[in-house]
Amino acid sequence: MEQNRITFDELWEQQERAGLQQRMMQDYPEWMRRRRIRRASLATVTVLAVAMVSLFNYQFSIQRPYDAVLCNRTTFPDSHWADVAATILTKEII
Amino acid sequence: MKRRLIYIMLMLFLAGCTAEVYETPLYSRYSARQDIAVAQVSGFQLNDSVKVDAVILVADDTAAWLGLKEEFDIRVSAGVTSWMGDIDEPRQRVRRSDLPAWRVMALNEERTIAFYRIGDSVQYQALLDYQLENMIKDK
Repeated sequence: MEQNRITFDELWEQQERAGLQQRMMQDYPEWMRRRRIRRASLATVTVLAVAMVSLFNYQFSIQRPYDAVLCNRTTFPDSHWADVAATILTKEII
Repeated sequence: MKRRLIYIMLMLFLAGCTAEVYETPLYSRYSARQDIAVAQVSGFQLNDSVKVDAVILVADDTAAWLGLKEEFDIRVSAGVTSWMGDIDEPRQRVRRSDLPAWRVMALNEERTIAFYRIGDSVQYQALLDYQLENMIKDK
């Protein structure tokens, strides 16, 4: 006979609907501890990932002498147009 | 609660990554042209604290360049020519004090016109300083 198995999270949701979370917390302290650790780990990893990508973007943006480039062609990279903008300024005779 | 916080942070992060760049009317006007390469460099850095927006037009061939010259009333046929152009109609020459305006530079040999948006006297001075500093470096 097949056993109807249920995960802890499904059980938690059932209890949540029934308003019996408090009792579940008392009955399954180890599960609750694991759940807290799992959630905290996920949150930490997410925050760290976001922070690292943001830091990378920030460092990249302070190295380049422009914010963004729009172009109607894809022939050249963005930096080419920033170089053109810079070079033209040096060619004018004041 | 934590999950919500994570979602909010991710949304803010994604919003920051996908923030759209403001398209100047000058760029929009030429972006559909097939015979001209048009680029807008937003936030082109002149020094530690001053940035300007620049729009660059590069004609693919002589015919396109002659068309651009006519559009912007460029009468010289060699070297570099520059002027302060009206912010809405850069063909029209304006005084330095009529800001905001475009600092326009046309290079005949490169078939290129560059427009630097000057919003105030600080940006104008920074542009001049940048030119002087880099021309000295080149020498």
